[in-house]
Amino acid sequence: MSTSTTVDAATATMISLIGSLADNKGALGRRYGEWAVSAPTIESAVAAAAMAQDELGHARSTYPVLAKLGVQRSDDGLDAGHPLPVIAAELPDWASVIAANLVVDGILTTWVASVRDSSIEPLAQRARKILQEEGAHRVHAEAWLRRLCASGGGDRDLLLARIEQMWRPAARWPGPDDHPGYRAATSQGMVCEGPDTIRARVRDWLAARLDVAGCAVQLPEPDDWSDWDERYRR
Amino acid sequence: MSRADETVWEVFARQAYEEPLHHVGTLTESDEDLALVCARAIYDEQPWVHMILVPRAEIREAIRA
Repeated sequence: MSTSTTVDAATATMISLIGSLADNKGALGRRYGEWAVSAPTIESAVAAAAMAQDELGHARSTYPVLAKLGVQRSDDGLDAGHPLPVIAAELPDWASVIAANLVVDGILTTWVASVRDSSIEPLAQRARKILQEEGAHRVHAEAWLRRLCASGGGDRDLLLARIEQMWRPAARWPGPDDHPGYRAATSQGMVCEGPDTIRARVRDWLAARLDVAGCAVQLPEPDDWSDWDERYRR
Repeated sequence: MSRADETVWEVFARQAYEEPLHHVGTLTESDEDLALVCARAIYDEQPWVHMILVPRAEIREAIRA
């Protein structure tokens, strides 16, 4: 990925966020797709296939936004990119699929909601379409959270462990709240909510859903950004 | 995963509001929200404008020959 001209801090940050959003959506699509033949029920296997199709479509439609920002990207297909390590390889169990659906998809979709009125119009257009389809993903995640928490025992404990495991890298994805490029992007109307707000929205939603299901997990605010890499947002 | 206590849903859909609802199939799912998501994913072969789910247990038979 390279830019044809020197860009300002706000645009550079948006390029990082949009490219990483597409990379992670492509990876989520592959992970959901891998479970389309082995979900616990045939109904959820078909739902996983539909979500995979949605996510791969979101990735495909998001990459061209980079070109509008002056980025040349070789079309390496959807196996390329640098997704979060927790979704970079096949997920080991159904609890991980639901945790990714809740946490990774949750963070990404909450960020997408913050660009639905972005001054980058091609991004805003795609965001509105993505948000329409993500509604069903959220319903799927919440329903499986209720089911696995209600089942108790090992299924519930594994889900809670997977949620905590996914939260740490996913919560770092938006970056530090005082990031100068992000703040400049916010002031220019490219994105309307900062990283802390994105994290708080997902944390509050997830904690509320878990509380109703009689469960709780630790969803800490990231505090050490010393090794955070803006290129890959991790 | 035992499915003996799950709800069976009858799925009806139509492609235009002036048409009657047609029975398009069934699905088995205890969670109502998940049933709605799964129905849209499973029965997506036509551009439906309207789809409804009815729990099979709520159907009352007027005639049974």
